[in-house]
Amino acid sequence: MTRHKPWIIRIVLFAALGLGLMWVGCAEQAVRDYQGLKYPKLRDIELPEVEQVTLANGMRLFLLEDHELPLVNMSVRIRTGSIHEPAEKIGLASITGMVMRTGGTTSKTGDELDEELESIAASVETGIGLNSGSASMSVLKRDVDTGLAILADVLMNPAFREDKIQLAKMQHRSSIARRNDFVGAIAGREFDKLIYGPESVYARHTEYATIDNISRDDLVAFHKKFFGPNNMMLAVWGDFDTKEMVEKIEQAFEGWPKVDLQLPETPKVQYEFRKTVNVIHKDDVNQSNIYLGHIGGLRSDPDYFALIVMNRILGGAFTSRLFRNVRSREGLAYSVFGIYSANYDYPGEFYVGCQTKSESTVKAIRAMLREVEKMKESEVTDEELALAKDSFLNSFVFNFDTTGEIVNRLMVYEYFGYPADFLLKIKQNVEKVTKEDVLRVARKHLDPDRVQILAVGRPDDFDEPLSVLGPLNEIDITIPPPPGQ
Amino acid sequence: MKHAMRKRGTSVVRVALLFCAVAAVIPRPASAQDLAQFEKRLTKFTLDNGLTFLVLERHDAPVVSFHTYADVGAVDEVRGITGLAHLFEHMAFKGTKTIGTKDYEAETVAMAKMDEIFLELKAERRKGEGADEARLEQLQSELQEAQEEAQKYLVHDEYEEVFSREGSAGFNAYTSQDATQYIVSLPSNKVELWMVMESDRFANPVLREFYKEREVVMEERRLSVESQPVGRLLEEFMAVAYKAHPYGDGIVGHMSDIATLTRAEAEAFFEQYYSPSNLTIAVVGDVDPDQVKALATRYFGRIPSRPKPDPVETVEPPQLGERRVVVDDPAQPFVLIGYHKPDIHHPDDAVFDAITDIVGMGRTSRLYKSLVKEKRIAVAASGFQGMPGTKYPNLFLFYAVPARGRTNEECEEAIDVEIERLKSEVVTPEELAKAKTRARASLIRQLDSNSGLAAQLTFYEVVTGDWRNLFKQLDKIEKVTAEDIQRVANEYFTTKNRSVGIIRTKIGPLGSSEQREPGHNLKGASQ
Repeated sequence: MTRHKPWIIRIVLFAALGLGLMWVGCAEQAVRDYQGLKYPKLRDIELPEVEQVTLANGMRLFLLEDHELPLVNMSVRIRTGSIHEPAEKIGLASITGMVMRTGGTTSKTGDELDEELESIAASVETGIGLNSGSASMSVLKRDVDTGLAILADVLMNPAFREDKIQLAKMQHRSSIARRNDFVGAIAGREFDKLIYGPESVYARHTEYATIDNISRDDLVAFHKKFFGPNNMMLAVWGDFDTKEMVEKIEQAFEGWPKVDLQLPETPKVQYEFRKTVNVIHKDDVNQSNIYLGHIGGLRSDPDYFALIVMNRILGGAFTSRLFRNVRSREGLAYSVFGIYSANYDYPGEFYVGCQTKSESTVKAIRAMLREVEKMKESEVTDEELALAKDSFLNSFVFNFDTTGEIVNRLMVYEYFGYPADFLLKIKQNVEKVTKEDVLRVARKHLDPDRVQILAVGRPDDFDEPLSVLGPLNEIDITIPPPPGQ
Repeated sequence: MKHAMRKRGTSVVRVALLFCAVAAVIPRPASAQDLAQFEKRLTKFTLDNGLTFLVLERHDAPVVSFHTYADVGAVDEVRGITGLAHLFEHMAFKGTKTIGTKDYEAETVAMAKMDEIFLELKAERRKGEGADEARLEQLQSELQEAQEEAQKYLVHDEYEEVFSREGSAGFNAYTSQDATQYIVSLPSNKVELWMVMESDRFANPVLREFYKEREVVMEERRLSVESQPVGRLLEEFMAVAYKAHPYGDGIVGHMSDIATLTRAEAEAFFEQYYSPSNLTIAVVGDVDPDQVKALATRYFGRIPSRPKPDPVETVEPPQLGERRVVVDDPAQPFVLIGYHKPDIHHPDDAVFDAITDIVGMGRTSRLYKSLVKEKRIAVAASGFQGMPGTKYPNLFLFYAVPARGRTNEECEEAIDVEIERLKSEVVTPEELAKAKTRARASLIRQLDSNSGLAAQLTFYEVVTGDWRNLFKQLDKIEKVTAEDIQRVANEYFTTKNRSVGIIRTKIGPLGSSEQREPGHNLKGASQ
């Protein structure tokens, strides 16, 4: 067992910053009651030490005690994901993740696990997402041995019983059947396909045929390939003693064979900037769901910090330009958003969107595009910059108000190969962002002339035909029927 | 809800859960020991004007959550002004006599002008076919001009900006049938800022940008009701389940009401329902209760007292027979079954909590076991009490999301089997024990969050008359017997007392769907 140095940082949080800037040139206004306020210095936050341990079998542990309530929680990350499933078996990762738990283990059926856990108000869940597998456990302190034993059993010895595979497939087929019922889901899904490509691992989705292709053997093989102690991280927080807990975990996972860590690489994204205009007919709505944008970036990009500030000014906050101009000033939408998103290990999307009545569709698209253009034309104002930075920095304390988020964040950083103090780096760098930086990154990363535009709704009711924005591409979202039907 | 950002990947199951979350207040108990601990840390005081504060100390992190519970919701609206409670909630972010304006005096004149033009416009529109088109156009453009004039004095979104700048988290508000709730969390050195802002909001509200915000609310209605299959079903279903009590009208209001509400109506609503005695505020976090009391007295004490508004007096008459509503919709099937039941004050409330656990919570619940695991006719199935509120007699709602190719009828039948079982036999000791254990654990899990605690404390204080009931609920559920459950099921789950609502899949004209096959078997997709 190797012990790592505990991760400790002390963060002095901001007191009031930049007050007064806002009111330059507004001398005729009444004095606001809040302007005269003097805030006491916020007390320093003493970050708890997260104990990091690597077991002999290679499993990484992150432990943080919190004795306020008699609870113990665990969360697990396994290096796997649907990015590793074959194109003809989309859904394999998801079904594997689901049936690991519902299909029970070699010694207990899933239904028996349900009874055992729910009778003690506990939960153990598993799942596999795009680029990681996860598991969680939550128990009252007194039941920690039971909870841990089930968690370990589910991860190591899933039985993949056929009845629960059938249930999972039924649930997937039902989701396919219902996937065009919700206009917001259609818009998000189809926009992802426009950006990453319909075949991309980052946008593709299940079909009846891909579900039909999945067999129990596939599940067993997928589990076997990825699930092993040396490919797993486990975070635990709550009411326990760290030394005892490490021993308990070590025992629970004893004898679990390691897996080969030569895993396939994370697929790359090739994006070609282009302008497209796309429409999807959905007749039972009176509101258009709109997305427009292009590829986004990575959090490891040095521009990430300035982009955080740019996002808050453009559309990532209730005081943003999009919110103010599209919602408050124009009354065009209830929900409007815009963000240059950055992921840990593959590029995010830059997207702007809203839902607006059919009759203001093109007007809303123009209004949103205009806001993107303005970001590139000139520097943001001092007031905007100060507001974006102050709100980010003053709310920084909320990153530390629960032990669960502290320990899980550390695990996520490690999973994706980011430094343990990445959050602190974000803070320090956001503090330094200038108006020039915001303009520079907007010019570098935003391309409003070459955005892909998608509107889902009733084109007959639009204020203008979408084709005024460019050659129109109609996307057919008909659900391919199951093979042989 | 005041703010909604991007939501993606909405699955039907999430939508189903979503409206449960809105409805089921999930009131869950704890132990005498927890209560004793909390009593030491909780300070309650009431100002001379009737405004009550609950202050709970939690010093782990230098943060604090504030929760203002206004005992007014959509249920307090009468026909013709539906949606007003919610619209007012939106307006409460528009500022005060000093916040959000460059010149309040001049702005008042400009806003009055707008109100005047809007009334004329309304009068002309009422003429329907006989309305003078030229006059309508003229008034529209006058309204537009007056709006632009009023906007000259605006300081856009100042109210929100101040909170944001000072590091707020979770700044938002929610309107339900029973209540309107305003929430925010701040670093704990900003208590006085909140005092200044929140007291001004309810002492000197100015309903500026009223006519624009109405349009935002109309978009919210299109988003949450009109463009969502389950939203459409729910609105029809509630209208059928209630013929007299206002629980039958949706929270967001009818489109024609939203379109014709006036600023004067909103101001009158505020006067009537936002008296200090109708507000209860919880402050949970790293605070000193003496300081909170001193500041509250100084800032909130300035709001003059007004009489507490009367509760709704309409009583829903008993049903004379089963009611059914079918929504023909180009979406997959969905089934709701609701039974009228008493409000939260009734002695059987805890029995309904136990039933909620046994039929509706988790993979071992009776409905999930039967419809999803065993029969595989649904992807989700559950039941819960408290639809659409708890303050007045409400519904116990069962629902099922049929699996692909399965029907509402099959699901309804399977739910009926489970309801009949509740009536004909007593639940097992294991089921009852599990319900009690989970009630306890659920309460413990809720004690982990400042904002969650603030919400629970205000709810129990206002709706049940004492915040301690957050803990005392546990004693009540402990006393529930298997016979109680059988008795209650027989008393309330009767055919005569129920309403059923379904989505009947109608293939749209676009032909982009799979076709309906002969017989009852629906083969899936629709657009």
